[in-house]
Amino acid sequence: MSSQKSYSLPSFMNSDSSLPWLLPLITMLIVFAIIPFFYNIYLSFHEFVPAKRALLFVGWDNWIRLFTDGVFWGSLKVSLYYTFMCLLIQLVLGMGIALLIDSDDPGFGIIRSILTLTLVIPPAIAGMIFLIMEDANYGLIPWLLKSIGLIGPEDTILSDPTLALWGVMIVDIWQWTPFMVLILVAGLRSLPSEPFESAVIDGARPFQVFRRLTLPMLHKVIAVAVLIRGIDLWRMVDYVFVLTSGGPGTATYTLSLYSWQRFTFVQWGYGATISLFSLIVILIVGNAFIHFAKVKW
Amino acid sequence: MHLFILQRLNGKELNKVFKQVLGWIIAAIFFFPIYFWITVSIKKDKDIFALPPKLFDFEVSFSAYEEVFGISRFLYVEDMGAVRPGGGDFYMMPNLVDSIIIALGSTGLAMLISILAAYSLSRIPIKGQQHFMGWILSTRMMPPVAVAIPMFFIYKNIGLMDTHLGIIIIHALMNLPLAVLLMKSFFDDIPKDIDEAALLDGATRFFVFWRLIVPLAIGGIAATAVLCFIFSWTEFIFVLMLTQTGLKTIPVVSTSFVTSTGTAWDNMAALGTAAIIPAFIFILLVQRHLVRGLTLGSVKQ
Repeated sequence: MSSQKSYSLPSFMNSDSSLPWLLPLITMLIVFAIIPFFYNIYLSFHEFVPAKRALLFVGWDNWIRLFTDGVFWGSLKVSLYYTFMCLLIQLVLGMGIALLIDSDDPGFGIIRSILTLTLVIPPAIAGMIFLIMEDANYGLIPWLLKSIGLIGPEDTILSDPTLALWGVMIVDIWQWTPFMVLILVAGLRSLPSEPFESAVIDGARPFQVFRRLTLPMLHKVIAVAVLIRGIDLWRMVDYVFVLTSGGPGTATYTLSLYSWQRFTFVQWGYGATISLFSLIVILIVGNAFIHFAKVKW
Repeated sequence: MHLFILQRLNGKELNKVFKQVLGWIIAAIFFFPIYFWITVSIKKDKDIFALPPKLFDFEVSFSAYEEVFGISRFLYVEDMGAVRPGGGDFYMMPNLVDSIIIALGSTGLAMLISILAAYSLSRIPIKGQQHFMGWILSTRMMPPVAVAIPMFFIYKNIGLMDTHLGIIIIHALMNLPLAVLLMKSFFDDIPKDIDEAALLDGATRFFVFWRLIVPLAIGGIAATAVLCFIFSWTEFIFVLMLTQTGLKTIPVVSTSFVTSTGTAWDNMAALGTAAIIPAFIFILLVQRHLVRGLTLGSVKQ
């Protein structure tokens, strides 16, 4: 076969060893994932000293500072609140919408297509969209909330310490609830119909069926969706960057944003320490979740 | 289907019309911000800030697009240098080109690496495969900031700062877990008998891979590539931290439209609209594989 000859070039790939196939991936992961991880650890024990214009060894100083820094604890709280609240709202809302639009009737295919659109908008631009809609003077959302009397005429969203975080979360909920919807719809559609039909015959009530049959059978799909969404919520930085830059004050600092902000203030070591903390938390929680929820790839 | 069964349960049918109406209201709520953004891009300033908002009855103007795409450079040369809110230059073609180069380059790199690795993971099991897959998945968890801070110093040292190549590599890395796990799930769908029969006939492993399996997986490869492209196209924090001067992709450059002298909303919206419409088309093309892609190959449609 003449084509055999033209494929003789990567002859090292003809063996049944998987190493040559995996080598590019392993190289890439070592150079751009493992090395940065250890570099981060290195940085967390160093700090840029302006007087000497150099990165110097500071021992545990960054870690001690981390655990005594009120802004860090605040940003940890914001990250946790943001992740849990968004996850909960997106899951509940997503399940409701998924149950509604899981239908073969004409029209629902188009509705599902419309819902995919938010997923491909760059998060920074999604932030921009809501920046103008939540603008204190000309924004649509404050205007609506004022018209129905939910907030006072002088109130704002993004510069109000208690509302600002919700002003950010609404963007996430808008952009990523469809993520949950699409995954859950796919899960619902793959369910076999026999158990549900026998439940009908047994005269079970809809809510019982949902709790006893649908939820357990969707367990794997829900776990995967929660895992991926949870990771991305924890890492989120685009929305706060665009909408509030962490303000007002430090009310909407997430761990990632605070780390980035310290970095831009040339506190490289401390910024790296915060991001390393965030990384370690998600690695532990994520892998524990994979283990206990029995998520398999 | 599912809800239909639930309805039958207690004997009363939810009104089909009601379901349709509610479904369309939800779709409209989710679509509204996109529509609003598009209208901002073709409104004049006075209409952008009108309250109650002018959703349909506004004056249409494409001047923002002309500025962003540089059409006004050819049409009204004498206007150049006029001070606009947000100041400065809104000619964004170089940034669009940068974005396209980076998205295409990183997609190509990620696909090349991941197809090879995924084929091997699918066909030649290794010792500790689960742990290896777990490691790949763990890299998907890394907060971008935690990678970008050390990469900032590494890139400074090896001269990848502010280069297309630097961003291409980091975006490829970001997409590798998705691409590897997703491609593995597509390869797993293809029966292993094909490989074994061809290998028995004396074909080489690479021949089997390149001539038999890749063509069979071409739909999955296309879907994976589209997702890689979109995630690179929309990525923000790596570009923000690993570029300092010239090179800025669309998401990053559009945040620079907010300045102390005001915000050029119409230009920003024009750029944003131009950036999301190609992504809309792409995603609708691979909609069939979308859920599988979003779940890294774990939930099949």
